[in-house]
Amino acid sequence: MRRRLSAAYDWFDERTAIRSLLRKGLYEAVPVRGAWFYTLGSATLVLIILQLITGIFLTLLFVPSVTEAWQSLNYLKEHDAFGAIVRGIHLWSAYILLFVIGLHMVRTFFSGSYKRPRELNWVTGVGLFVLVLGMAITGAFLPWDQAAYWTAVVVTNIAAYTPFIGSFLRALWRGADTMGPITLSRTFGIHVWLLPAILFPLIGAHLALLRKHGEFGSYINYRGAYKSREGVDVPPAPAQRPIEPPYPAAPSEELWAAPLQTEDFYPHQTFKDGIVSAALVVVVFILAVAIGAPLEAIADPATTNYTPVPEWFFLPLDELLVLVPQQLIPLVLVLPTGGVLLLLALPFIDRGPERNPFERPAVMVPGAFAVLFVVILTLLGSGRLFNL
Amino acid sequence: MAHRDPRRLSRRQFGVLGTQVSGAVVAVLLGIPIVGFLISPLFRQQQAVWRKVGDISGVPDGEPTKFEVSFPLDAWTAAEANLAVYVVKSGDNTKVFSNVCTHMQCPVRWDPTLHQFLCPCHGGLYDINGANVGGPPPKPLPQYVHRIDGTTLFVENRFTEEI
Amino acid sequence: MSALLALIAPAFHALQTQVPAQAPQGRNIVGAQIAIGSLFSLHILIAGLVSGAAELGPAIEFLGYVRQRRNYDRLAHGLGRFITYYFSVSSTIAILLITVLLVGFWGHFWTTIVTIGWWPLFIEAWTFVLQVSLAYLWYYTWEPMRAFKGVHMAIGGLLAVASFLQVYMIDVIASYMLTPSNPQNPVRLALNPTSYPLTVHRTVGNLAYIAFAFGGFCAIRYLRAKTAEDRRFYDWAGSFGLLWGVSMTLLQPVVGYSYAKEVQLHSYGSWYKMMFGSLSPVFLWQITLLGIMFLTATLYFARRLRTDEAPGSGILKLLAVGMVLTTLLAAQPYALGFSYETVAAAGLNRPFWEGGLINPLGSMIPWKVLALMFYTLIAIAAVVWYLRGLPGVVWGTARRGEQRILMLMTVFTMLMMVTMGFIRENSRGPFLISGEMTIQGQQNVPTPTPQSSP
Repeated sequence: MRRRLSAAYDWFDERTAIRSLLRKGLYEAVPVRGAWFYTLGSATLVLIILQLITGIFLTLLFVPSVTEAWQSLNYLKEHDAFGAIVRGIHLWSAYILLFVIGLHMVRTFFSGSYKRPRELNWVTGVGLFVLVLGMAITGAFLPWDQAAYWTAVVVTNIAAYTPFIGSFLRALWRGADTMGPITLSRTFGIHVWLLPAILFPLIGAHLALLRKHGEFGSYINYRGAYKSREGVDVPPAPAQRPIEPPYPAAPSEELWAAPLQTEDFYPHQTFKDGIVSAALVVVVFILAVAIGAPLEAIADPATTNYTPVPEWFFLPLDELLVLVPQQLIPLVLVLPTGGVLLLLALPFIDRGPERNPFERPAVMVPGAFAVLFVVILTLLGSGRLFNL
Repeated sequence: MAHRDPRRLSRRQFGVLGTQVSGAVVAVLLGIPIVGFLISPLFRQQQAVWRKVGDISGVPDGEPTKFEVSFPLDAWTAAEANLAVYVVKSGDNTKVFSNVCTHMQCPVRWDPTLHQFLCPCHGGLYDINGANVGGPPPKPLPQYVHRIDGTTLFVENRFTEEI
Repeated sequence: MSALLALIAPAFHALQTQVPAQAPQGRNIVGAQIAIGSLFSLHILIAGLVSGAAELGPAIEFLGYVRQRRNYDRLAHGLGRFITYYFSVSSTIAILLITVLLVGFWGHFWTTIVTIGWWPLFIEAWTFVLQVSLAYLWYYTWEPMRAFKGVHMAIGGLLAVASFLQVYMIDVIASYMLTPSNPQNPVRLALNPTSYPLTVHRTVGNLAYIAFAFGGFCAIRYLRAKTAEDRRFYDWAGSFGLLWGVSMTLLQPVVGYSYAKEVQLHSYGSWYKMMFGSLSPVFLWQITLLGIMFLTATLYFARRLRTDEAPGSGILKLLAVGMVLTTLLAAQPYALGFSYETVAAAGLNRPFWEGGLINPLGSMIPWKVLALMFYTLIAIAAVVWYLRGLPGVVWGTARRGEQRILMLMTVFTMLMMVTMGFIRENSRGPFLISGEMTIQGQQNVPTPTPQSSP
């Protein structure tokens, strides 16, 4: 029996080269120390795939029409327990995905993983972050309940504050000057087709680049970490592995070229990745069953007693909208745009070889400020909304 | 080849040129309809529609009263959008406000304790004449183009000023 | 300490004979307000340092452990020593305040607040006990626990958390007094509209305060240092303190503006008094002082780098010029009189070129908001350029000028704390609990509502 299976495998391998493919995929070298932090990237990927799958199955029921969107989701809620759980997973996985992608960004920023030769990895990553945010925002419009409708009104209106082309941009998204059926159809198409068509190839590029250069990890895995310690010798360079040496390193960066100790991706890193991803999926599932995805009353543009509340990831921007006076409203566009541009430019601003976060305060400190500002604005925003 | 005219295309150059031209042709033939499709709604004129709001004789002086009016949503749907209208009378003057905030288009409501229009999204305030008196809204509360036949109010689906 | 007690003793004796059943009337009030006000200011000036040290000290110890630098450890140890010396002073003043002055003078208010805010005060008392025990434990086990640094840092971490929780509970009570919410619901009580802004503002402020304070202290020590090692340490510590202080302070404009916004929405009378009424000159002074503080820090950065010919000094001088211009913008008064209220009452609320007394360049919106944003941006740039130039600095070579700047910063910070406390407590007047209880004990006093903004 064993020989039969082995023979079948050989037959398959001759025609598909599966063996070498698996070797390349599974036996990559990964740094040893700090490995639990490196699970955030794969957790992000797992949650995105969860979104893709639950999203595909939701399109088997959802109708993107202003009269039927809410009706179809209400039907799901009232009459389809399993479908409601799928929708719940889709919502909670989105929320947790945004949180995990933020953690992943902070981790890679902190560890200096965007430095040469991994700059494009970071740039594609920022692109992915923006696309995931776009997915979250466009997805929020679709149910066409009160929350979705007013979110759509406010978000599309932010675009109107762009100088010169603002009303044009708003009308481009809405399909007219006011909200209507075209807005919902366009947003549905963007959410289900346009953004994913850009997102998934970009994920492919992001992963391909990761494979090319190897997971950087954290400074503690490298010879460079010993440089600044008082009275400690720098260890000698590590030997290259016979299989998959993904650390070609730029020649001028001997101290950060290759980790001192590596292990196989499979099964050591995949184990950790698996635990963290599975734990997150379990949390998503529990939230989906216990709380589920809320569906408020159907959109009513004539309401005078509904208070639109932004999604949690929108709170910092919303608090800015409260604080910024009318003469300075374009700042609300400038700050996030400027932030994204700064993020994109980061690998080209911080070009030094030093990877130890505590030895490059000129980059870490402004980064900490940025994170602190976002956290403070979120806190203040949630406090304000609680007291409305 | 000794006497080759340098102005003539080599076989290789011809191949490159042909590839580029075919790519351009496909891009243009695909691109024009798509771009046109995306921006076409912006050039469609919105139909002017007048709708009856109701009898406003019972509206007390100095007390904004809410009415609802429904206008057709554009495009293909038969559904109509319900919109809120605030009627404010002060003596002979009647103003017909929409409740669309000029900051982020959130739904504004009249708050009797504050004696002002309040936008709950970001704390915008408008006084009884619609002037923006507090918070971030940059313009006064929009007014509907309207006419009053006797005591019946009719409203058109556009504002007196674009917001 | 005994002098303080001697001062209080006659008041205490007098109160023992006549504990008031109701709020004081007439001229007693001003005396009581002055007594309580000055003692509270003194308490906060010391307690703010202690809270800040209890939070910043463990953080510095941790950083020192990660970076394997002995300087950090020595600095954290010094902060621990500071806490053990001064904890008892500030807590004695606090206890005196509560048991003697508040119970004695504002008994009606104190009983109300303790009834409403029982849970926050209960938690505060126990976090206080925790803080005391951990502070002494953390300091006295420093050397014995060298081999168990992880455990020692955990104790420090707990101390920081206890300190934060204690300040948070006090802020719940203080913010409730300004913007009361539903007292029956403990969550609504704790999350009243100004609770978050005040807590963030105070936590960040305490961290800035202790940093500026030890910056000034290390400046004095530097000038008196005998050994080269001490000189190196105090030079570095002074710079470190200023860096931390500026970094924390540049977060404040956003929080402060949001705090004022919540006050505007939930306690309009207090907001009006501060921005347009009798306290507006003090507010103008506060925003100007903030600019002066940022300017002073930028000048230190520029000078310190210049002393060692490290790169970046030129850019910092440019940033200092920017800071001067921003401060000048922020210092513009809106009303060219005592306050907008008096100017409007005199019918002169027109721009000065139309014969009035208004200076449009002094309006909060948009000019002072822009000035606040520029404070923050220029301060971030100053911090970044100083950090970039630091590798070129040789510790122990600072000149007297830099040390004088550090000492000046400490004085400015204390001035800022007292100014803000003054504005805070007086803007709420005549209420002790906005809209609900006045100093006289009356309830249902009519409160102003938002009118058209001037």
